[in-house]
Amino acid sequence: MTEKKKVLALMCERSVDVNDADLQNLSDLGVVKFPCSGMIQPLMIEAALKAGACGVVVTGCQIGDCFYREGNKLLMERLLGERPPGLKKNVDKRRVLGLWLSKLQKSRFIDDTKEFTNFVVNLK
Amino acid sequence: MYQEVLKQLNFITLEIEKLVNKITTNKYNPFYYHGALPQFYLWVLYLTGLLLFAYYIPTVDNAYLSKKMVNAWTSVDYITKTLPFGAIFRGMHRYAGDAMVITIILHMIRVWFTDRYRQYRWVQWTSGVLLLVLVLFIGQTGYYLVWDDRSLILTRMTVSSLTYLPVIGEPIKHWFLNGDLISNLTMSNFLFIHIGLSFSLLSFLWIHYVRMTRPVLTPPPAINYILVALVLLVVFIYPINSGQMADLNHQPTSFDIDWFFLFPYWLMAKVNMGVYWLFMLAGVVALTVVPWFVRSKPVEAAEVVTNKCTGCSLCYRDCPWQAIEMVPAPPTSRFKLLATVKPYRCTGCGVCVGACAFDAIDVPDLPDAKVLDQIKGLVGAT
Repeated sequence: MTEKKKVLALMCERSVDVNDADLQNLSDLGVVKFPCSGMIQPLMIEAALKAGACGVVVTGCQIGDCFYREGNKLLMERLLGERPPGLKKNVDKRRVLGLWLSKLQKSRFIDDTKEFTNFVVNLK
Repeated sequence: MYQEVLKQLNFITLEIEKLVNKITTNKYNPFYYHGALPQFYLWVLYLTGLLLFAYYIPTVDNAYLSKKMVNAWTSVDYITKTLPFGAIFRGMHRYAGDAMVITIILHMIRVWFTDRYRQYRWVQWTSGVLLLVLVLFIGQTGYYLVWDDRSLILTRMTVSSLTYLPVIGEPIKHWFLNGDLISNLTMSNFLFIHIGLSFSLLSFLWIHYVRMTRPVLTPPPAINYILVALVLLVVFIYPINSGQMADLNHQPTSFDIDWFFLFPYWLMAKVNMGVYWLFMLAGVVALTVVPWFVRSKPVEAAEVVTNKCTGCSLCYRDCPWQAIEMVPAPPTSRFKLLATVKPYRCTGCGVCVGACAFDAIDVPDLPDAKVLDQIKGLVGAT
């Protein structure tokens, strides 16, 4: 088994598209892809944090533009606690980052993820 | 090849939208309300149309003009010249129609380029083509109502194109003119077609929207103001004028063309009537079958895990495709309701999976357990 990743990215296939070359720069990042960000359950984020991840990055398309109509909006509302099911109260919200980026914004994804990783790894 | 081109076009749309997002932010990006734009113009058309309807008189009779009898043309003239703000409302009605066609085409192009028109969206696409044809036809009937030179020539051209059709042509012509000749009855029929079909748009719009939960029907107010302002701007730059009053004893030979609505007449004047009908029919059929140009991978519909479902209806509320229905649970169940998936509507997007707090619904392509395994494999504590 390869070494364990510190940060997990739960990504929508249609938003930022990272390939293996990009992942080599982001050695701390593990990626799980979903057909739509709306499929990401708060339970999955909790599971990742519980299993030992320092932080979780969630990516969806730009709000307003979802291939499956409103998946990203629903997920955003769930993460903000405006729509059930939400994150449990004991989840450290600082360890969850939502990025709403289109396919073209890969560089921003990489920058933000690196910054987030540094922040999260140093969190007590 | 076709798919490669579409992929590139998708990137171009994304690039344009990214640029617009920099100016407007994604909350006010008109591209994210592309379907709501024509819908908004429809409301503008209904309102301005209501005002015009109050003053419009659907007759062609000009035998008693010397006695100040009114007909369609003079009532439109009255609206334009005498009625306060009449010219503005008339202009808005006309240009909002043009704007509606532009926004519909924009909507169509975006949906096509971003690959959102096929498979489970075929109902939306085909009803959309029908709506477009209807809107174009309604727009044309609007041109007959003014009853100037152009209206007369358009009416006559329509009649000759209808009489070309075998068997059905004659009855349709009879319906269209409300008799065999152009008369007062013709004009009231035109008005009925124009208004009646406009309202029938709503029932087709219902089909257009029926498979969508929370369809986006209204852009934010800020965009609405801009949409109205754009129309008003054009109204002031290019005010509307009628031509000469139509004279049934006189045959006009040329007219100004409005490219949004009257292009079929341009074609009709250029080619043989048979070619014209063939071209029109082929155009509509080609547009309708666009979703089936590409072979699509069949969708694996989501499946409810019956013994885990609590009937909380969260997935039913969140499904963006109206694909989940809550039915009474079987008597053996502890719960009142049970979620069921309508497989012909399901897109396999998994939004229901994200909505379910009980792991009671699964997308066969990527089941919950597999996702959790992947997560644990990547970050696992062991």
